[in-house]
Amino acid sequence: MRKGALDGAQALLARTAAADGAAHRALSASIADFALSDDDRLDERTRAALARLLRALIATVEGEVGGHAARLLRAQGESALADMLEAQGSVADTLHASGLLREPALMGELIARVRQDLLAGGMAAQVQDEPERASLLNRLAQHPDRLLAQGAAAVLVSESRRRSVPDSGPLMQSDLPADLHHRLVWQVAAALRTGVGGTAPALDRALAEGAQRSLAAHDEGDRLEAAAMRLAAAIDARPGELPELLAEALGDRRVALFAALLAHALRIDFDGARAMTFDAASGRLWVALRALDFDRAAVARLGVALSEADPRRNVEAFADQLDAIMAVGVEEARGAIASLGLPADYRAALLALKGAAR
Amino acid sequence: MNAFEPNLPIAMGRVGPDGRLVHAEARLADLNARAGGKVGAPLAVPPIASIVRLTQRLGVAISRAVVAADGEDDLDLWVRAEPDAEGVRLEVSGWRPRAAWQAPEGDALRENDFLNAEADWVWETDAAMRITHLAAESVSGLDPAAMLGQPLTLLFAFEADDEGALPILTAAAEQTRFDGQIAELRGTGQRVRISASPRIDALGRFAGFSGSAVRVDAAEEVALAARAPADPEFTSEFGQRLEKALRAPLARIIANADSISAKLDGPLRDDYAEYATDISNAGRHLLSLVEDLADLSAIEREDFSVEIEPIDLADIARRAAGLLAVRASEADVRIEKPPADEAMPVTGEFRRVLQIMVNLIGNAVRYSPPGAWVWVRIEREGALGCVIVADQGKGIAVEDQTKIFEKFGRVDPGEPGGSGLGLYIARRLARAMGGDILVDSAPDEGARFVLTLPHRAD
Repeated sequence: MRKGALDGAQALLARTAAADGAAHRALSASIADFALSDDDRLDERTRAALARLLRALIATVEGEVGGHAARLLRAQGESALADMLEAQGSVADTLHASGLLREPALMGELIARVRQDLLAGGMAAQVQDEPERASLLNRLAQHPDRLLAQGAAAVLVSESRRRSVPDSGPLMQSDLPADLHHRLVWQVAAALRTGVGGTAPALDRALAEGAQRSLAAHDEGDRLEAAAMRLAAAIDARPGELPELLAEALGDRRVALFAALLAHALRIDFDGARAMTFDAASGRLWVALRALDFDRAAVARLGVALSEADPRRNVEAFADQLDAIMAVGVEEARGAIASLGLPADYRAALLALKGAAR
Repeated sequence: MNAFEPNLPIAMGRVGPDGRLVHAEARLADLNARAGGKVGAPLAVPPIASIVRLTQRLGVAISRAVVAADGEDDLDLWVRAEPDAEGVRLEVSGWRPRAAWQAPEGDALRENDFLNAEADWVWETDAAMRITHLAAESVSGLDPAAMLGQPLTLLFAFEADDEGALPILTAAAEQTRFDGQIAELRGTGQRVRISASPRIDALGRFAGFSGSAVRVDAAEEVALAARAPADPEFTSEFGQRLEKALRAPLARIIANADSISAKLDGPLRDDYAEYATDISNAGRHLLSLVEDLADLSAIEREDFSVEIEPIDLADIARRAAGLLAVRASEADVRIEKPPADEAMPVTGEFRRVLQIMVNLIGNAVRYSPPGAWVWVRIEREGALGCVIVADQGKGIAVEDQTKIFEKFGRVDPGEPGGSGLGLYIARRLARAMGGDILVDSAPDEGARFVLTLPHRAD
């Protein structure tokens, strides 16, 4: 018998041996999936966009780390190693299989980013009543106050860079928070290393150097979220201006700026305000708006804009709720969202403890 | 599709706090009357009535695009409802009859996908024509980041067309898309061709342009200077743009239709699964057409060239026969391929020769009756290595034997499948590699196609 056939037979036997386990795992996954409520499950659009973003992110880091490592190896005369490094396909599958990507912090950030884009995409354009008036960020970018102008320009630039996720290939930069970027870079470097196998100290050194270079080049302050927060702080909207600014940010489809303005006004972090913006189920955004003492028309205006853009929200249900929202007193509302002003890590630890106790 | 009228006729109306129509201008009154309503009664046009109700409940102005049935037609309307002390003030504009079928997504989006497939720059403006988004390749002397927030005219210096008009201005006034606006990237000397679609807000107002810009290269510059009339024929640029724009969506259609037809996500009625098979077959057909067109545009370029590398013709013939094994067994046709130990060293480009072989064997399978054989044989004739594909089909009449190699040449236009480009492309490719494709056949005696390539000494 030929060797190929024998190998095939071994593989078949191995699969048979593993079949029980695989079937068990598949069943557990199916049961878990079935038990999920529709509200908890990602919808297809989000899921597809998330997969695309994750692939692009991995390609970005892979390009930075692997590309630099290969150049280093070539410079050291290790062309064979460089070729092997470049010949391997994407490490995305390795990382998926390892389960390293199932990390709440990373996935939470990516899901939020995808929702932010989808929400902006669904937002109906809303033109100013004066047709010649430029949109909010464009007006601010021309503002005589340099702090405002620079802040607005930075948001324009980072949002332009962020907006298009290519069908294949890398992004301009990962745009992740520093800790997540740090972890992803080392994971990708490790996956690249595992792909080649064997002992090769030169390869280890080159990959580590490539990773460190990517980490050194990363600037968290360049992120869209950071730029939006800086702008919100520079605007430092007075209570009277805030409703108009928030409505205009949504009308211009600048969801990041919306979340940043909200975060600055509520004195909470960006992630908290963003989560509130996407949270269609609990209605805590409305409570937050009440905490800012928004009147009925202001709450209604934002409610309509978000309901039209987000398929998970329902404008009729919002209208049913409006009286109840307005019945919430300002002080009550402030009390209800006060905990969001606490450090995020503290809140996460409290939640984790509560979960463990249950 | 984007021909928004510049001056939308507006019909005003008023609804009292009790939801009854107090007053309506002629168009709105007529629409309401045809739906069975009148002044003093509740509004009878359901989508408008629901906006009015929502406005009353929320106490804010609401603007939306709606579709209202008007007799047998559907009308596209822009409705704005604004609450005031006496109830709700209505402004209804648009009043365009809707086409029988409309794509679910905005046409502008799709058009942009197409434009962007080969765009060097993608940009967006607000209603005041200031840049809100710019994704650009780097060009020396231009900082994309500095352009954001600036007027579009700071990035592009627009040039008038033959009639002295600026297409972008006409398009902005009429809120239509435009194409072929020539401009200079200010300060760089680089000329670009700009296209864009308008974005329209919920009230039907112009909210800015989404557009793209493509570099105009030196050769085109000459043509532009000469103002030569554009070649209306299929251009190579168009072919490549087409392929780039269509390949990914088609592949997605095929993949999804295949998984529906395989019932991957659970049980499905058989007839639906068969529709999905039809969708996927049609998708594959379209994809092969697109590939043919892209190949056609490639081989018709003046700078088209093939790699000349050492290849084994027998090996490629076996691979091509293997690729078509499934299709052949579905058609109940058997393929006899060259024996595994046979070799025929020739020169040519591997993937192009494989493409030719798949085309020749695929044709043979397609035209074979059930139970027939297709023979693939290798021969050497002097300085040429040959592969012969012979079938037991109905054959090709002598007078048709040149026609089949012509562009879009088909013997029987009523026959399904194929673009009429396959053999034309195959022969052009073979000749570019220093070989040829010959045919030898008579009606009812099957066909013999011979691919020859230069033989190489090992």
